[in-house]
Amino acid sequence: MFLAIKEILHNKMRYLLVVFTIFLISYMVFFLTSLAVGLARENRTAVDQWDAKTVVISGYANKSLVASTIPQNSYQDYDKGKDVAKLGQVSVVSQLKDSKKKINTNVFGVDWKSFISPKLIDGRLPEKNHEVVVDDALKNDSIKLNSQIKINGSSKYYKVVGITKNNSFFATPVIFTNMDVFRTMKYGSSRTKNISTLVFKNNKKVNATGLEQISIKDLINHIPGYTAQVLVFSFMIAAMVIITFLIIGIFMYIITIQKISLYGVMRAQGIRTARIIESLFYQILILTGIGAGLALLLIGVTQFFLPKTVPFYSDWLAYIVLTLAIMVMALLGGSLSMRRVLKIDPLSAIEGE
Amino acid sequence: MPLIEMINVNRQYGSGRTLVEALHPTNFVLNKGEFVAIIGPSGSGKTTFLTILGLLQSPTQGKIFVNGKDTSKMNSGQRTDLRFNKFGFILQASNLIPFLSVNDQFKVVDKFSRSKRRSRNSAELLRLLDLQNVANNYPSNLSGGERQRAAIARALYNNPEIILADEPTASLDSKRAQQVVSLLAQVAHESQRGVIMITHDTRLLAMTDHVYEMQDGFLRQQK
Repeated sequence: MFLAIKEILHNKMRYLLVVFTIFLISYMVFFLTSLAVGLARENRTAVDQWDAKTVVISGYANKSLVASTIPQNSYQDYDKGKDVAKLGQVSVVSQLKDSKKKINTNVFGVDWKSFISPKLIDGRLPEKNHEVVVDDALKNDSIKLNSQIKINGSSKYYKVVGITKNNSFFATPVIFTNMDVFRTMKYGSSRTKNISTLVFKNNKKVNATGLEQISIKDLINHIPGYTAQVLVFSFMIAAMVIITFLIIGIFMYIITIQKISLYGVMRAQGIRTARIIESLFYQILILTGIGAGLALLLIGVTQFFLPKTVPFYSDWLAYIVLTLAIMVMALLGGSLSMRRVLKIDPLSAIEGE
Repeated sequence: MPLIEMINVNRQYGSGRTLVEALHPTNFVLNKGEFVAIIGPSGSGKTTFLTILGLLQSPTQGKIFVNGKDTSKMNSGQRTDLRFNKFGFILQASNLIPFLSVNDQFKVVDKFSRSKRRSRNSAELLRLLDLQNVANNYPSNLSGGERQRAAIARALYNNPEIILADEPTASLDSKRAQQVVSLLAQVAHESQRGVIMITHDTRLLAMTDHVYEMQDGFLRQQK
């Protein structure tokens, strides 16, 4: 530790470059992670809110909630008890009264008494048909409590009576209505008793022709584009972490080679190779620690300056895991130099080779 | 018991037609309290002799005993520790670590010594070698003479029993050279250590106990 710190302090510029590189890479990794998590969440938070085990959707829907419709005679046998909830989903365009701006949203039709009824952070649950609950992300579009909104160009307005949060599906915020309003929007009439899916809180098995029971995880992975998006981000993040290995490896290798004669002197004086290698790894730990630490600070600050519409989500657990991954990669990079250090001949100190 | 005993040690480089006998079979003994000088033209094998003596390279044949212990039976880690604990090197190329101040050069020794032992007081060493004013300087900010004195201080700091000096006075003026050599003589005589010094400067030989001359790989005693 002593040698490691003394050397870093004596060659500040050189090691500052290493820190700066690590800082940039870590910051990029953290930023990508935040976007990946943020985007993933926008696809799924409404589903996560249910805290359910499985859903039943129509067999032809290819595990996609948006494509599923289940007629009453197919689901009525299973819609029993409070651990089962009916859900209707339809993608709609909403408009604030007196505004021309069109906003992509989801309508979730629910029974207000079921377990998937939205948890409110403000207001109350609807009592009438034209009353709705909206996700608080819509406040970015000025939709708040008591706002009047038009859905799919309807002639009448819906009044926002309740606000919920973290209810986003398929990257668009959710508007909760009762089942009848949903049915009118999707099927033109509330007399058609179709639903999109049945949500099961427990592990109850459903075996019926024309229906398919899938896990929540399966449901999320089949949100169109979700898996591809997560995969792309994961690859980018993994690539950056591996690049850390190369950059630290190469940096430290060059610095090590420059110090071969010095190491020779140290070996001649009877300083063990283990001490030299120890110093090398301490240096890597210190440099990556500072670099990643600064990146963490900056990412913490960044989120306050980003527009609310950027799907940025600070996942500190992921940051910590990635910081550790970067450190491990950096240490592995250092092991490229280890071979050189092990081969150092103390004789070179005297012969000046 | 001698500090170092070399028995029939030789060193060859290459093989066949390119074989070079850098050091012919040599017997050599260094006792406690002895100050030995080795002279000879460059390329005669002085440095080879010193590096073999300092366990920096192994002889082709023969045995070296340090304090009666056969070093050929040790592994390289044990030899490294032996160097750290028993040897002080004063090298032609500076043996100072460039990113450490003079004071920190001593601290490294304290940090890395396994057994807590009373190291020679660094303040006393700095005074002795007239380095008090540059104790916080880095090697690159020292004059040639100061650097050489700092290297000597570093070599003496871990209280070595054996001090190997490769032209320690090369970059010093004659007054300083005299001081350094008398210091080495004092170290040898007063604290019962063995000092071996390679030198070109024949004026310095008066203070030594023995003088050997190296010529074409043969070591001959002169005094």
